Amino acid sequence: MSSEALLELAGVVKRFHGLAVVQDLAFNLKPGEILGLVGPNGSGKTTAINLISGVYPIDAGEIHLGGRRIDQLAAFRRVHLGINRSFQVPKPFRGMTVAENILVAAEYGGGQPDQEQILEEVGLTAERHRVASSLTVNHQKMLDLARALATEPKILLVDEIGAGLNPAELNVVADLLLRLANRNIALIVVEHLLKFLNRITDRVLVLSAGRRLFEGTLAEASADPEVVAAFLGG
Amino acid sequence: MPSARPDQIRQPPLRDGIILIVVLAVIFLVAPKVYGNQSLLLVMMTFVALAQGLNLLYGFTGYLPFGYVGFFGAGAYGMSILVLHAHVPAIPAVIGGGIVAVIFGVILGPLLRLSGAYFSIANLATAQILLLAVANPSLTPLTGGPYGLKLQQVFAPGAAYLTMLVIMLLATVIAVYFRRSRFGLGLRAMTDDRVSAEMAGINIVRARLIVWLISAAIAGLAGGAYAWSISVYYPDAVFGTNISVFAIVFALAGGVGTVIGPIVGAILLYALYNAIGITVPQYFELLYGFLIVILVLFLPEGGLSLLRRRGVDVL
Amino acid sequence: MALLEYAIIGGILYGIFFSLVGVGLNLIFGVLRMINLAHGQFIVLGGFGAWIVYQYLKLNPAFGIVLSIIGAIIIGYPLYWAVVPRLQKSADPEMLSFILFFGLAQMIDAAMILGFGVSQRSVPTETLGAGNIGLLGQTFPDSWWVAAAVAVLAILGLYLFLTRTRLGFATRAVTANRAEALASGIEVDRISLLSFVIGLALAGVAGVFIPFLLGSVSPSLGDGLTTTSFAIIIIGSLGRPIGTVVGGLVFGLGTMLMETYLPSWSDLVPYALLVIIVLVRPSGLLGRAVRQT
Repeated sequence: MSSEALLELAGVVKRFHGLAVVQDLAFNLKPGEILGLVGPNGSGKTTAINLISGVYPIDAGEIHLGGRRIDQLAAFRRVHLGINRSFQVPKPFRGMTVAENILVAAEYGGGQPDQEQILEEVGLTAERHRVASSLTVNHQKMLDLARALATEPKILLVDEIGAGLNPAELNVVADLLLRLANRNIALIVVEHLLKFLNRITDRVLVLSAGRRLFEGTLAEASADPEVVAAFLGG
Repeated sequence: MPSARPDQIRQPPLRDGIILIVVLAVIFLVAPKVYGNQSLLLVMMTFVALAQGLNLLYGFTGYLPFGYVGFFGAGAYGMSILVLHAHVPAIPAVIGGGIVAVIFGVILGPLLRLSGAYFSIANLATAQILLLAVANPSLTPLTGGPYGLKLQQVFAPGAAYLTMLVIMLLATVIAVYFRRSRFGLGLRAMTDDRVSAEMAGINIVRARLIVWLISAAIAGLAGGAYAWSISVYYPDAVFGTNISVFAIVFALAGGVGTVIGPIVGAILLYALYNAIGITVPQYFELLYGFLIVILVLFLPEGGLSLLRRRGVDVL
Repeated sequence: MALLEYAIIGGILYGIFFSLVGVGLNLIFGVLRMINLAHGQFIVLGGFGAWIVYQYLKLNPAFGIVLSIIGAIIIGYPLYWAVVPRLQKSADPEMLSFILFFGLAQMIDAAMILGFGVSQRSVPTETLGAGNIGLLGQTFPDSWWVAAAVAVLAILGLYLFLTRTRLGFATRAVTANRAEALASGIEVDRISLLSFVIGLALAGVAGVFIPFLLGSVSPSLGDGLTTTSFAIIIIGSLGRPIGTVVGGLVFGLGTMLMETYLPSWSDLVPYALLVIIVLVRPSGLLGRAVRQT
């Protein structure tokens, strides 16, 4: 294990009703690094994010953040230590305004973020007074990201943010994620859109049926017959 | 020019809170001099305090405590037993009643793992257990069993009235705090989306437990002061399900999640109850049963939401 | 030993009957995902039905069963259309329906007291058979056996309906997953309405035997019966009508054993069971998680 790794997973297992949905998952992540997490539906990508962020407890294995074991900590404590995420189906505080959404995370997240800058960064400055439930899904996704950024994360887990975006919007998001990585935030990006992923990273982890199938560059992955078979079969 | 920290929680209406508390205090200090029936006013304050205490939990966390009366009864019995068996003076005993309720709150804390209707019904069951326990003949030496308790030796209606006033104001102050503070913002976030609230860094389990215990304390204190004021009572008088029911109806009618809603609901409906309900309580029961059905169908956020829909910012 | 045998056999009879008391609540919860907090009041209405049949119509109180079914149809249809569709569309159907049915319970309570008074009404136990039937040397009044037999028939009927008919199959599909049932073309509204009416009818039928098993019927019984029913269906696992039998038996045996050995604490049984079960196994003894908490 390299000493500079920010996040380390080793032997992580998750079962639902006895069925393993994540099996022996292990990888490392360094500050500022972007890891693409890909795989067919049901391969355990979102579950992996839920395990790292603490939404579900793990059944076996260990998760370390900056050398500290975190897999037994409640989700909010992991937030304070610097892990945050967005959701595949965005989950803003629907009854609150955009600004209030960010304020909650700023107040409780353990950081001292510049809320104006975050609004600016995700492109929601003009929507600040709108109630979250009235936003478009794309804006809600951005608000999800903003809520995460307001806790000043060291690691950001991004779950299928590209789905439903047009090419121009995808470019904006890609640029944003690259900027975050430049600020030394490590990112795990679950994504189906491989072209989008290719723009922001060349390191991917391919999951199939809860197991690591492949780790390497995206180009190598798409040349690997096993990976191709898993995608076609899935 | 936007300020550096956008949209602070609308802070200034702290003034509204102070005005509200002064007005409430004045009303209930003056009322006994104008209207002779002080014990009715005391019960009215009791229900304002209970409706508000219930609102703190239901309005700000979404847990509807159907057995809220359990804390009220625990406070009443805690206070009385301290007076009768430990010879504690009345006011410290009322505080002791609040502490007894908080202790029950801690014991019942695991109920908060349940959600929605499960919590409500399990909470109702715990209140019934408490009632059946204190009313059990085998506990007569301690609780008076089915025969109840008598506290004439500390009977002091004036002091009990003022104590209840303080408790009611305390509940109001806490509700104002919940409406306007960072803590209250966190509660709103939790009720809105539990997982996202955790992802905003909120310690949900702790926040919930704090609110639960505060809510329990209010009911326990009110129960203690109530026992003091009536001084002779049977178990049903402080553990009757209808006490929870009234608190729920009053809070819902005015509007939960606000400060003023439960106050207005409790004062108006309790006055109505006295006007039409004392001789044949069933007419009142029929009426508020109907009121609940109508509220749920057409005004789930309570009567004051009519004002809010017109853009009035209700405290 | 005789005491224990009495408690066990009595507990089984009592428990079978209480399965019937709970099963309507469970059916409605399973299909509509709503808790009918007026369930106990509908049971009491059934009890008054039996009393009216005996007192005024001079008929066998068992005809109260027919009256209950008719009553459930007359009340159930308009009530369903007046409240359920609107509740389903609300922000929090489960909690809001809970509160609404609570309001309804208050109304029924008040109406019953205004109509019948607060006093307890009893029906002579001989009307369901004058004798006693013995088993293993323990005898119980005929009415207990009749109540248990009707409960078995009613629950068996429900079971056959759910497992052997197209409509029953659709009902189970809605219970398992409402959204999927809707997507696969099942008429969810019709199934819901039917289940609601059947649930009320089962409550009323159970009520017919309340004067016999509890000695009398009075408006004040409603809330306690609701809580007891809730305890029973939680024990048996929510949303599974047949699981209710397990809950009923646990409750019946628990109550009879307590009444035999610790009578002054036997009232605590349903409440204590309820609290213990929800804390230890929120999904019920038969364990199928109905919701994530």
